[in-house]
Amino acid sequence: MTAVLDETPVATHGTGRRSSWSAALALALFEARRLLLSLPVLLAFAVYVAWIVWQTPDFEDGYPALQDADRAGQSTLLLVGLAVLVCVNQAVLRAKRRDTERHFAVLVLPGPWRTGAHALSLVPVVVLTAVCTLAQFGWSALRSGAVGSGSPGELLVGPLTVLLFGALGVLLARLVASPIAAPLITVVLILMFFVAGGFPAGDGERGLRWLTPVVTEASSQTLPASLLDRPAAWHALYLAGLALTLALLAVLAGGGRGWMLTAATAGAVALAVTGGVLQCAPVGADTRAARERASVSPEKLQTCVRHGSSTYCAFPDWTARTDSWADVVHDVQSSAGGTARTQPLLVRQRIDARYGLTADAAIEPSSTPHQVTVGTAWGGNRVPEFSAAVAAVLVAGDEKAAGSLCDGRMVTVMWLALNRLPHPMTSLRNVRLDDSVTGSAIVLSPTNPMSMTAGQTDVVRELLGRPAGEITPRVRAHWAELTAPKVTTAHVAELLGVAAPKAADKCE
Amino acid sequence: MRVSGQVRVGGQVRVGGQVRVARELLLPAGRALPWRSPAAGAGLGLLILAVPRLTDTEPAPWLALVLLRCAILAHAVGLAFLMDDPARHTTATVPTRRALRTAVRLALITPVTALWWTAALLLVPSHIRPPTGDLTLEAAAVCVLALAAGAAAVRLTDAPAPGVSVAAALLFTAVVAPLLLPDQWALFVPPGDQRWGVAHERWAGVLAGAVVLWGICLPEPLRRGPGALRLRSPCGTSDPSRT
Amino acid sequence: MIPTVSASGLSLRYGRAQALDDVSLRLTQGVTGLLGPNGAGKTTLLRVLATAVPADRGAFTVLGHDPAAPAGRQELRRGLGYLPQTPGFHPDFTAFEFVDYVAILKELTDRTARHREVRRVLDQVDLAEVRGKRIKKLSGGMRQRVALAAALVGDPGFLVLDEPTVGLDPEQRMRFRELIAQAGEGRTVLLSTHQTEDVAMLCHRVLVMAGGRIRFDGTPAELTARAAGRVWSSTERDPAAKAGWRTGTGSFRNVGSPPDGADLLEPTLEDGYLLTLDGADAEVAA
Repeated sequence: MTAVLDETPVATHGTGRRSSWSAALALALFEARRLLLSLPVLLAFAVYVAWIVWQTPDFEDGYPALQDADRAGQSTLLLVGLAVLVCVNQAVLRAKRRDTERHFAVLVLPGPWRTGAHALSLVPVVVLTAVCTLAQFGWSALRSGAVGSGSPGELLVGPLTVLLFGALGVLLARLVASPIAAPLITVVLILMFFVAGGFPAGDGERGLRWLTPVVTEASSQTLPASLLDRPAAWHALYLAGLALTLALLAVLAGGGRGWMLTAATAGAVALAVTGGVLQCAPVGADTRAARERASVSPEKLQTCVRHGSSTYCAFPDWTARTDSWADVVHDVQSSAGGTARTQPLLVRQRIDARYGLTADAAIEPSSTPHQVTVGTAWGGNRVPEFSAAVAAVLVAGDEKAAGSLCDGRMVTVMWLALNRLPHPMTSLRNVRLDDSVTGSAIVLSPTNPMSMTAGQTDVVRELLGRPAGEITPRVRAHWAELTAPKVTTAHVAELLGVAAPKAADKCE
Repeated sequence: MRVSGQVRVGGQVRVGGQVRVARELLLPAGRALPWRSPAAGAGLGLLILAVPRLTDTEPAPWLALVLLRCAILAHAVGLAFLMDDPARHTTATVPTRRALRTAVRLALITPVTALWWTAALLLVPSHIRPPTGDLTLEAAAVCVLALAAGAAAVRLTDAPAPGVSVAAALLFTAVVAPLLLPDQWALFVPPGDQRWGVAHERWAGVLAGAVVLWGICLPEPLRRGPGALRLRSPCGTSDPSRT
Repeated sequence: MIPTVSASGLSLRYGRAQALDDVSLRLTQGVTGLLGPNGAGKTTLLRVLATAVPADRGAFTVLGHDPAAPAGRQELRRGLGYLPQTPGFHPDFTAFEFVDYVAILKELTDRTARHREVRRVLDQVDLAEVRGKRIKKLSGGMRQRVALAAALVGDPGFLVLDEPTVGLDPEQRMRFRELIAQAGEGRTVLLSTHQTEDVAMLCHRVLVMAGGRIRFDGTPAELTARAAGRVWSSTERDPAAKAGWRTGTGSFRNVGSPPDGADLLEPTLEDGYLLTLDGADAEVAA
């Protein structure tokens, strides 16, 4: 008898809780559907998906490094986040705006549960965001030229940012019952991105800038994943903790009470603080040492492969790419004459990671004979740049000497570099800093740039217009003269059988 | 029972009476205006500009421009709510034209906006302030665009308070436009950029377009043309708010 | 009697829904009732006649003014009072301020005369006592009366009232009927309602709408007469009846086609309305 009496109220209580949960879940599903179908969210997703489709194939010229691809979409997701913020805020305020609050306030499901349901309604949007992020990353990862590895922490940042903004929208509605609050907060957030974007690494790599949801870097340099050392996992923890804190604060502001809620809020704050503090800690000494080592003495970390007579040394992630480099070297050497045709080269991948991602540092040219530097990026303009460096080393002997080439040899270098590429004229335009095919210009290479005079440009353009079968024998025949120091451009033009430029060589 | 001897006071007003209506309307329309939203927007705008002053840091010229543009956006978001009118259905069929009613609202908000803009400019130290005339053009274009979008919302929907949708649309445009506008259409150029002049010719175009849009949306249509976008039936007791 | 409002061929479509389907009518002075089920097109017809929304096709004039031209619409609106189905207010205005505001919008620019007029209509709707109170502090019935005062201000010749008695208690409804009857003296009033008693007590004419069309146009007596000989009493619910319910006396009141020798009852306006709608349904179905 006693047992029965004891049990009955417990059972009733349990049912009540459970029904509250299931009702809140049903409400969350209902609100989630409305949220996903609201016009701003639909538009934001449309823009985001269009951006993925438009951007991903060309990301890093089709040779993506996955340690960069994992955070490529984060900034664009802010748009989705802002749309979710405004829409979920309006959804929470709907009852007040439509004057149904008086009715809803006396329904079985209490106010705090309704607030909680609104916070839960964010989950499907966040999941959809995660699916989009994964699709974008997966697309990059499946490309044949992809190298490196992504970080789960970075992939989580996008969806968690959307969750954070949504939770902010719910909390805002519970604090300020005005429809203008969310649009105005959005303006403030837009301002913050501009300001944060203006100082991408304002106070070093770490520090307070990691408190913003999406942390961008000033550098476009691709580093090996192990040297990146972005505290992505701690940042994800920080975002998750912050989002949970805001959502639970909204439930508290909506009238929720009880020790479980208080404890959960305290736990969420603890998560946010832990993540927030740890992510801001300065870059560790071992990372600094590893970066120094990779920059100054890469040979200790690299694997070398032989293709033909030349050796190709790459960081572990990039060994697969040595084939592409070897193809370019083979093309350049097969057009050359003399000993250059068989000269063994050392192609070494080099980076300058001493400044982390805070700045793009130029790589010093190597003075080691017959050594060519190649960077971490590939595809697009990087191919003619590397090709130019190979040709310059074959003609001048080493990179340092190639940087100060100022005579007719520059014609030979550029012709060697470009004539076997699929679109020589386009490559000529791309490899020059000002995208021109006339006049003097700077020619880019993985290390220091080289310079072409207007006359050299005219001769190279003329040569590239002729069939390779006509020029190659002349290059081979006159190789020694063509590569002799101080040879004039006019003489080179004469040897190769094209019109000589009017102006004399004069380097700027 | 009609009050005997009552004059048809309405009968007095004909041509020229619109001015008197406008004058009489100023005070109640001023009371009916949703002041809180523009005030919040303007306040936030000034706050954005005041923060560097209060913290005694001097922003770089590019940052000063970003701050001013965000302040303009905040104010425009406030203005998006200006056409909200809870009494819209009650006053739907009065003889005073919508254009005149809107003009009265505009007459009330314009001096306030002008004052606000002056204060906003003064908050930025003169040596880092971007060209005042050009930036005033940007501000005018964005504010008129917000008002025109509000007028369009009133024209195309039956909602008494479309402000929040207008604000959302404005924000969406503000975020997406800088991302998607191709270079030859660039509007948001930094100071000292060689495209500054051309960009501000485009801003003048935006202003003109906004004014035209506003002009189109002001009159109440006599016919439901092909552009009649009211697709939802306003009838039925179950859906009175129809928003 | 000379018609004050005449409309022909009014049609209006919202997306796929035909809200008005070739509606023609003539209204004369006095109160005309508009009955019909939800979604019949009553509110749309009222909004078209009040110039709140233009019709897709058809034309109408009010007091000789044609709203198809801007000038005609202005003239029409100068003589129009409109109480929408869900009137909106500026909640911070007092009752007086709000009616005064509407009066200005109705181009009553002489301040003294206008204030006198506003006080008169507020008196007329029994709000003299609370005219200084903010609208947000007023009860639902009082707000409805503020909206009626806003419609009445400026002494319009044509009054369009969309379900003005919804949500009022019986006493308030009686009071409203009194006000509408008063307003109907020397004016044309078009009153949309779900309350057949309102029509029976107030209106000299009644229109019944269904499916966007006018199904009946006549006097309340004529509408009632449609049910003559079609209402009967029985001890059990008669399966032949279109509608039947047990009354307080315990017997069933049936409406429809009575069997031979049935105990016929005196019909009401509501019986006539129900039978008209039933006929309309049959017509639509056919």
